[in-house]
Amino acid sequence: MKNNIIILGGGQAGIYAAREIRQNDSKSNIKILGEENLLPYERPPLSKDFLLDKKKEEDLYFHSSDVLKNENIEFENISINKVDFENKKLFAKNDNVYSYDSLLISTGSENKKLTLDNNLKNDIYYLRNLEEAKKIKEIVSNKNKITIIGGGFIGLEIASSLSQLQKKVIVIEIGNQLMGRIIPKQIADLVQNTHIEHGNEIILNKQIEKITKKNGDYEILLNDNSLIETDFIIAGIGSTPTVKLFENTNLKLDNGIVTNQFCETSIKDVYAAGDVSNFYHPFYERNMRLESYQHAQNHGICAGKNIAGVKTEYTSIPWMWSDQFNLNLQLTGICDEYDEIIERGKDINNGVIYFFLKNNKIRGACGVGIIGKVGRDIRITSKLTEKNTIVDNQILSDQNLKLNKLIQK
Amino acid sequence: MSEENWIEVGSTDSIEEEDLIRFDHQDKTFCVYKLTDGFYATDGICTHEAVHLEDGLVMDDEIECPMHQGIFNIKSGEALSPPACEDLKTYPVKVDNDKIFIKID
Repeated sequence: MKNNIIILGGGQAGIYAAREIRQNDSKSNIKILGEENLLPYERPPLSKDFLLDKKKEEDLYFHSSDVLKNENIEFENISINKVDFENKKLFAKNDNVYSYDSLLISTGSENKKLTLDNNLKNDIYYLRNLEEAKKIKEIVSNKNKITIIGGGFIGLEIASSLSQLQKKVIVIEIGNQLMGRIIPKQIADLVQNTHIEHGNEIILNKQIEKITKKNGDYEILLNDNSLIETDFIIAGIGSTPTVKLFENTNLKLDNGIVTNQFCETSIKDVYAAGDVSNFYHPFYERNMRLESYQHAQNHGICAGKNIAGVKTEYTSIPWMWSDQFNLNLQLTGICDEYDEIIERGKDINNGVIYFFLKNNKIRGACGVGIIGKVGRDIRITSKLTEKNTIVDNQILSDQNLKLNKLIQK
Repeated sequence: MSEENWIEVGSTDSIEEEDLIRFDHQDKTFCVYKLTDGFYATDGICTHEAVHLEDGLVMDDEIECPMHQGIFNIKSGEALSPPACEDLKTYPVKVDNDKIFIKID
């Protein structure tokens, strides 16, 4: 049977879903509706190699338009402003109407904004898309002292890149550690040391009271009355799922679109994947919302299978990375459910990993090291987690013992 | 196939099964693998970002980059999983008197 399948959201989850549907269904019409007038592209390099000019725009696209053409996947740049789930229709701002039999929502997430005086709204920069990255890249070339509000992944990656561009960088973080939402303090402190060694200033536990514009520059007043002078401000203070379009509909929302392990929402024939979805993870037996490259890809693929009628549970163990200076940080699983922590290694030159265990089984791990030094062990850890392996703590804690010995084949 | 392009890498017992060693020759880096059915060789640097694959995980016939989990088939060099999309170059390998040689073009 020939169906109309619409994918709302032209990011990574959307393109991977589209191609997976086509793998399993050669007949249906597949159309991606994207708000950016760009084919789906990779976002991780925007804060790193793109700012550093090591990667150009053309290096970022997942697939060329030829691939989409060959697979008969349509891409349309359009903004949808109304959804009628009952009649299975989407309405665009330009009065176009799109009917679907199955709908995948992969609208992603958007940056939280600072609450500031209206007259400063255009003075603070955020980084999520290519256009914003281009703007930041262009403007910072003429700036010297840059302040980053928010010490999370994105803020610190930008701080690392700007430092490599010989800028003076100050990071202001409200919490008592960097990357506090998901990264253990032990690892965050190692990353913080590296930033400081490279000349970045890290200010923790401080809130911004006021930002004042003075002769084209800015003064940032903190809650301890200290004053920071700066000539450019970038904020990275977290993100929220892009669900405004669905707020007055029957679609069940709770920190994103609530989905089960098959990417199905509360409405029949409507699926959600990627950052926007608060999905049920059968392994952890709870709902979670993830914002990561691996998740966008794998969740999109899983949604694609389910839309094409291949019933598939989403069981990927979460994994994410961040690259800052010569460090590669990786996280697998969930690091907030544990009764034991085990340390492997002490020196970032050889890699340092913390394992979080519950009942002798790994629930998650987080590691950091000079590029290449933690990836293999983190990958093995994902496999051990997935297989619920009872682990030997001696092997976990001794860097001279190889972790792959623990994998049961 | 001229003989002079075969470069000695080391002895066959220098690599554990389902593992690899890094081999540097002139200004290039290679990875030489021991899989269940023999020895194989590829370029030593990931095609996605310039990171050494020597620290990657060898599982079955695949090498996984330690930085961003790009996966390549060791025998064909095919990029199997993003972010890697460009194939890895592979090289012929031969074993002679318990010594491993790779043919560099």
